[in-house]
Amino acid sequence: MADVATNATRTSLSMRQPGATRDPVRVALLLAAILLCAAKPILPDFLVRLPEAWIPPLAQWLDAFFDFITGDMQEGRFGLIYITRWFAEGPLDFLLGVTANLLEGKYRWPYMADPIPWAAVAGLAAVIGYYLGGWKLSLLAGGTFVWTAFMGQWELTMQTLSVLLVAAPLGFFVGLIVGIAAWKYKWFDNAIKPLLAVMQTLPFYTYLLPAVIFFKVGPTAGAIATTIYATPPMILMTTVGLKKVSPEIVEAGKMSGASRWQMLTKVFIPSARTEILVGVNQVIMLCLAMVVLTAFIGMPGLGGKLLAMMNSLKLGRSFEIGITIVLVAITLDRLSKAWVRKLPEHHPKDTPFYIRYKYTVLSVVVFAGLYLLAQPIEILNEVGRRQSLSMGREIDGVFETFLNLDSVEAITGTIRYVLNVWVLIPFRDALLWIPTSAFILLVVAFAYGVGGKKPAIYAAIFFSIVAFSGWWDRSVITLYSVLSAMAISMMIGIPIGILAARSEKWSERMLLACDTAQTFPSFIYLLPAIMLFGITDTTVVLSIVIFTMVPLTRYTIEGLRSVPPELTEAADMAGCSRWQKLTSVQLPLAMPTMAVGFNQGIMFAFFMVIIAAFIGTQDLGQELQRTLAGTDLGKNFVLGINVSLMALTFDMAILSWANRRKKALGLD
Amino acid sequence: MTSDSPVISCRNAWKLFGPNPRQYLKSMPAGHSYEDIRADGYIAGVKDVSVEVAKGEMLVIMGLSGSGKSTLVRCFSRLHDITGGTIEVEGQDIMALPEKELIELRRSKMGMVFQSFGLLPHRTVLENVAFPLEMRGQDRHARRERALEVIKLVGLEGREEYFPRELSGGQQQRVGIARSLAIEPDIWFLDEPFSALDPLIRREMQDEFLRLQAMLGKTIVFITHDFDEALRLADRIAIMKDGAIEQCDTPDQIVLDPQTEYVRKFTEDIDKAHVVHASVLAKPVNGHAVEGDAIDGDRTIHQIARQLVSDPREHLPVAGKDGKVMGVMARQEALEVLLGDSANG
Amino acid sequence: MKIHSMMSVAAVALASASAGFAAEDSSEPIVIPIHNWSSQIVMSHVVGQIYEEMGNNVEFVTTDSQAVYESVRLGDVTLELEVWEGAFGASFREALEKGGLHDAGDHDAVTREDWWCPMWTKDACPGLPDWKALNDCAELFATPETGDKGLFLDGPVDWLKHGKERAEALDLNYVVKNAGSAAALWAHIASAEEDKTPILVFNWTPNFAEAVWPGEFVEFPAWEDGCDTDPAVGPNPDALYDCGNPADGYLKKAAWDGMEEKWPNAYEVLTKISFTNAQIAEMAKLVDVEDYEPEEAAEIWLEDNEDVWKGWLPGGDT
Repeated sequence: MADVATNATRTSLSMRQPGATRDPVRVALLLAAILLCAAKPILPDFLVRLPEAWIPPLAQWLDAFFDFITGDMQEGRFGLIYITRWFAEGPLDFLLGVTANLLEGKYRWPYMADPIPWAAVAGLAAVIGYYLGGWKLSLLAGGTFVWTAFMGQWELTMQTLSVLLVAAPLGFFVGLIVGIAAWKYKWFDNAIKPLLAVMQTLPFYTYLLPAVIFFKVGPTAGAIATTIYATPPMILMTTVGLKKVSPEIVEAGKMSGASRWQMLTKVFIPSARTEILVGVNQVIMLCLAMVVLTAFIGMPGLGGKLLAMMNSLKLGRSFEIGITIVLVAITLDRLSKAWVRKLPEHHPKDTPFYIRYKYTVLSVVVFAGLYLLAQPIEILNEVGRRQSLSMGREIDGVFETFLNLDSVEAITGTIRYVLNVWVLIPFRDALLWIPTSAFILLVVAFAYGVGGKKPAIYAAIFFSIVAFSGWWDRSVITLYSVLSAMAISMMIGIPIGILAARSEKWSERMLLACDTAQTFPSFIYLLPAIMLFGITDTTVVLSIVIFTMVPLTRYTIEGLRSVPPELTEAADMAGCSRWQKLTSVQLPLAMPTMAVGFNQGIMFAFFMVIIAAFIGTQDLGQELQRTLAGTDLGKNFVLGINVSLMALTFDMAILSWANRRKKALGLD
Repeated sequence: MTSDSPVISCRNAWKLFGPNPRQYLKSMPAGHSYEDIRADGYIAGVKDVSVEVAKGEMLVIMGLSGSGKSTLVRCFSRLHDITGGTIEVEGQDIMALPEKELIELRRSKMGMVFQSFGLLPHRTVLENVAFPLEMRGQDRHARRERALEVIKLVGLEGREEYFPRELSGGQQQRVGIARSLAIEPDIWFLDEPFSALDPLIRREMQDEFLRLQAMLGKTIVFITHDFDEALRLADRIAIMKDGAIEQCDTPDQIVLDPQTEYVRKFTEDIDKAHVVHASVLAKPVNGHAVEGDAIDGDRTIHQIARQLVSDPREHLPVAGKDGKVMGVMARQEALEVLLGDSANG
Repeated sequence: MKIHSMMSVAAVALASASAGFAAEDSSEPIVIPIHNWSSQIVMSHVVGQIYEEMGNNVEFVTTDSQAVYESVRLGDVTLELEVWEGAFGASFREALEKGGLHDAGDHDAVTREDWWCPMWTKDACPGLPDWKALNDCAELFATPETGDKGLFLDGPVDWLKHGKERAEALDLNYVVKNAGSAAALWAHIASAEEDKTPILVFNWTPNFAEAVWPGEFVEFPAWEDGCDTDPAVGPNPDALYDCGNPADGYLKKAAWDGMEEKWPNAYEVLTKISFTNAQIAEMAKLVDVEDYEPEEAAEIWLEDNEDVWKGWLPGGDT
């Protein structure tokens, strides 16, 4: 027994870094990079920074290109904008009008005089929650809407939901159709894969500007930006699901004489239900995240109010809105996940119809009942401002007291000083000091060492494009924030994950905390962070850390808990101490999963670093935010692509490593 | 079409898997072996197969996994397109059928049962069984009627509203069988229908299957990797290896007279007495005295063992299906089958 | 409140009937943009409610305060109620040149946007608000990150405030850093408040901040036309941006060119609308200090100031 365990230990140790240190290519790349750095004073200028003259006017070219395809309505030059504007002003505006009329009472078709009373919506949500997941879910779903109403945020929430109600189904249908096409036609799949990869890493600011230009400012642009942002996972999940349908079911369908259309609608799609619904869940979650962020292009609703509250420094109210967003997000997440798990149940023959359709009947009764009840009873219809239970001021007070505590100030002051002056600023200056050529070589060496040849080649191409885009320094600063944040969140997130993974109970609690932290709108963190750490790099990095820690902790827990029990048992029997077991059995086996978390962390960091422009940065995010105010599509796009390319470099390297490790460990 | 022309007629059929199979098959030298083909980067799923299935016959295709038996049956229904040769179903070259007619053919003539049942998880038993009827556009009422009828036939009454996951494996396969029978197909394909089941259930299902077949008399192509099952069910058995048919014969003949080493290996451990029928051992009367009661030709040697041991006659008369004596059987020969004398093997 | 509105609708209906207007306003909604500061939001609702009482349909869209001019130009948005000279003058002029929108008159209110310090800073640096005191006090405004230079926290880059250029042009010993948002500026002031840390930030009037944190604008060399285009203007002959922003900048209204034809009555009201600094500050206060929702704040303001807005209504001044 002991032999087995020690053997396992030995192999795991020797496998830990597959040929990492002595690979000649890697060594050569590193040496070259170091040489270039050492020789910086005598290097020709173009190796240090590309001269301005070499940088192609990408933005202008793109502008000209966009201009051409956009067309101009005032000049009557036909282009894409005719189509998009037609769509925005026709069907999309109609749909948004319908939901806005029903939920907010906006003056649109079907011209209902009053919006649906909150009590009726909450009741309906409770019934649906009960149907999908029993009492707990019923309480969560109903409770969320009751909270919303009593916090005086009903209208805001409905403004957000009325867009979500259009954007999410739109994302679902587009994703489904594109997913089916990608599954059916290999060439199409190959064509959209890189596009999807870029879309998933593109900063959300890059979606916003084109949305406004093509789809008109207001809810239509918001709905479109939201849809585009949320669709990629739906496409991927649809394709995955369809590919997974068992060949026998396919053959059974064919042998039943199903035509192609019947095959698709009656065999493939229903059989891929689980994956498609997982896609739906992701669409809903991303839509909600984005619909809040569209506040930046002027979408009303929870996000818009949040931004307004923050702009008048009302932390308490902002915080309450944040809680509402979390509640809505968790409710929608849990409901749609329960829907994934929900399997149809049969009823015995001759079940009367009101039992067979008891949930439908119950929904109608509850909804109609509360609707009618709300007519005479005003509080069920609308909770007035003075009746609401908002505690904004009280929370403000708590915040203020906390922030003004001398001990808090002393601690944050020290952290701010140490991190900024000793760590972050020197690190940033060092990165900026490195000649561009050496920087690219370092990144390539990293990609090569971690991911292998292919990621290395892509790293070289991607970072060269970044260099030629003319935004090198800002890109390096962006990367610097991301790397610093990742380093700090690893130091915090991984130990937390390891500790939590030791018990089932704590794992679950921690995972719930992760869910909450992830759905809490990211820019709420920013204000308290500024008050604690000033408008400095520390604030930027720490607010990214809050976000990136989540996947690190989550995947550490999941990785550790998925280690096969017989291996830990073998380690126990071999007399491993807790620490030995952790370092030589559990962590090596959890590494591939943790790498996925690490990767997600980096993606989150690239997302958050852009939002951190709200604090005040000197990176790509700041420039991106600036483009929002204008019509510089070309520049907006170039900046966005830079972020995307850097993110993809890491994505490819790390995922390729994780996949290889999984294969080597036989985990997949 | 006359009743004695074959329902399925397969001539020199090839199914190659690989990058460019059609072209490869054309340029391939004759006599290329399975290994040669594989060395060229192709897999011969079906290799030069010629076989016919007569109306009302049950052909069992037997082989180990990877022998191409499932591929062959999928070629019969054109779930796979063959690479070379022809396959005719009721005289129609199915490779020449446009999609619409192919679908029509499947909707009206073919039924298939799958190893892992291939049930649609989101549909109830009733809806699964009614599925082929729905596909051909029958109205709701009519298809419900028919589905209930077949469900009753396979003994699943009362479970119409269940979902597949709520049923045991055996019950699920009954649903698969019911579905394949719903359209009253002329040709019934069964792809290892009982392999996924526990041995006890398997036996029960085989009996059930034989009962249904006795009742319905379909033309059947049945696939199995279980030789016992093949022997138990088949009119004829085709044994496949590496995509090709090694031998296609009645069970009795396969057992008595295996033509290749591969087939012989299969038959080695078989108790032949359970397989060989008296009628197979019967030889033309040719001067032997026919005396006493005739043995029923449909009985296996095992079934007549007691009589064989005790009967004093050297040659026993054997009666055909019509009750008339069809020939005589040498007692010695029958005893050798009974005792498993390897000389006869 | 409801009864009150109904009464005023009746009053308006009567008024318009007596005035006998020939042209009718279109029933399509007038789209009023809303931005992310309170006074503008309340003002938009005030005007929106006036329009609604006139029988028009009104729709509010939240938009970016710079991008809005492009939208007004295209007719996606009908009007803009707060065109600040300093902040949006450039975007407004640009859109004006492209065509599609026009100047619909000034408010009484004047605007000012410039470097600003809260009152508590004066104790430490008594030379303020004269800009010449800035360099002497630079160390007071230093932070760990800026070394011995002072820190000036400028508005977000997209406000195009040219703080860096001014620091260079006037040879100020300051690091200019851009906050990412108005909220970041407030957070910065709020966190300095407790310890009365001296700070120098970008600020403007009218806004809610003046009610919360009293302070003063730094007095730079007075604005002269051409300071941003001609180096010769201002004290430094070789640099642009070597003077302060206009101390009495305009606050304009802008309208889409098609508005007059489509909603003639509403357009007429728009040209008459004019708020004073005090009124704007009051609107902001209702929301920022007294915690009303913008819609409620607008109702309250309308109720309290009937004599002001009744005069703008069609036929109201006859």
